[in-house]
Formats: sequence, structure tokens, C-alpha cells
Amino acid sequence: MKFILIIFILIYSHCTHPLNLDTYRFPSSNDAERFKSLIKEIRCVVCQYQTIDESNAPLAVDLRTKVYQLIIAKKSNETIKNYLTQRYGDFILLQPRFNFATALLWCLPFLGILMIFFLPIILTKSSI
Amino acid sequence: MSNLILKFSLPFILLFILLVLFCRALFFSHPHELPSALIGENIPTFQLPDLMQDHGFFTQDQLRGHVSLLNVWATWCSACYLEHDMLTTISTAYHIPIFGIVYKDNKTTVHAWLKKHGNPYVMIGDDANGDAAIDLGVYGTPETFVINPDGKIIYRQIGAINEEVWNNILLPLIKKYRVET
Repeated sequence: MKFILIIFILIYSHCTHPLNLDTYRFPSSNDAERFKSLIKEIRCVVCQYQTIDESNAPLAVDLRTKVYQLIIAKKSNETIKNYLTQRYGDFILLQPRFNFATALLWCLPFLGILMIFFLPIILTKSSI
Repeated sequence: MSNLILKFSLPFILLFILLVLFCRALFFSHPHELPSALIGENIPTFQLPDLMQDHGFFTQDQLRGHVSLLNVWATWCSACYLEHDMLTTISTAYHIPIFGIVYKDNKTTVHAWLKKHGNPYVMIGDDANGDAAIDLGVYGTPETFVINPDGKIIYRQIGAINEEVWNNILLPLIKKYRVET
């Protein structure tokens, strides 16, 4: 039983940690942190519901390297995100930016919450 | 009375609208056909080693002055083999210049592949590390860009070009530019 458990743990520890951060060397820990948080915000466009942090698709590896190069070149987070959206569109950012196309997406939850409070009031008031 | 009916049916109407939207997203969307962010933009600048000539380069400047196709492909990509016959037809029967970018491939393999299957390309750039592909927003081979005479990207085809895609989408687009110029 213990043996099986160990096998499982070994398999899963391998599965859940695909990215070896040691392959990227940074001049400062600040840059390393920036890299770690950025690659969690960028979608792997091949396997669309993973970040480039989680994915090991060849393109995800390339994009990680690209982000690394841009960080080494002292580019800001905003510049790096713009660099990627210029090429792959807004879809590459896992958190969609607020713009004309996404306005409804961002506002609907708030409208929904407002509706929960006001709809019963409106409905009951007018029926009396 | 009618007011009351409306009031009670409102939640159901909203639910129905939501369900229609969900069904559309679930069954009729194509999540892998991402719109290109580069439509209407100039082709990004690139300089790739020319596969046919030893010291030559393939750059974005060669794509100006005529409507052309820019095909990103690789010998290890099976869909690229599927569209190869169609590309040959496009270059021989329709005389549309096709430029190629070989994505992460080996030079000698590419030469052997072209010798075996024929070469429809005017020029082929060797994108060994995939940098040019990233600049073009490519996320899988094959992808084909239609480039207008001004060097602007007017269309991106994701996946293999077959007869249907050619006749219904690409040819009408290209014809428009042939008449204008």
C-alpha cells in the first residue's frame, strides 16, 4: 500500500511541476518574481485553458523564453503584455482588458447583483 | 392581467435567451480559430535566411508590389502535407506567388521534402527558432496569410487550404486586388 502511494506521489509531483525555473536566470529576485507572475497571466494559445506557466506545448515554451528575454531587456510588464496582444490579440491575456468588446463581460455581474436587490422590490411594489 | 403574465414569464424569457447564447458558444463556436490581431496591419519586419540561396535573406520587403500568400509550414506537420497539392495548383494554375516560412525545421529535411513533393514556393525563409512565427502571431502550422501589394495582411487562414477554402475565401479576396492593381 505504501509502495503504491509513493508511486502515485512521484507521478503526480512530476505532473504538477512541469516548469523548471532554474533554466531561467535573472539578475535580480524582483525580475524573477515578475517573470513568475507574468507567465501565470498569459494564455497558452495552443492548449487554450492553460497558462504558459503550466503548459509544455512548444509554443508555450517559446513564449516563456520570449517573456524572459523581454524581462532581461528591462521591459515593463505593460510593454510585454502589449507586445503579446499586438501579435496574438487580447485573447492571450487570461484576464481580459476592459475595452469596448469586453465592457458587457465586466459590467454584467454588477448589473446582476443590482438586479438581485432591485428586481424583487420593483416586482412586489407594482403588484400591490 | 397581461402585465402579470409578462412579470412571471420574464425570468423564463431571460433564461431562454441565456440558453440560446450558451448553446451557440458550446456547439457553434470555433475556439481554435482565433482572429488575427494583425489584419489590416503591415507585415511585421523579419529577416530569415533564404533556404534556396546560401547567403540570401527573405525579408518582408519581398512581399510588396503584388498580392501574395505567405505560408507558414513545416515538414513534420501532417496538415501541411495535405495542403501541398492545393498550393501547387495555386502557384501553377492561378499564378499567385506563394512565399514560405519553414517553422522549426531542419534545412536538409526541407530540401529532401521539396525534392520529393515539388516546390510551389517563390522563396522560403528558414525560421529555425520560431521568432518570426511569434511576430506573426502564429500558433500552429499551417497558417497562411494573404498579403496585399502594399505589404499589409488582409487575411489569415488557420489550418490547411483545401479547394473549398481557396474557392470561397481566398480566391475572391485575391481577385479583388488583382482587379484594383
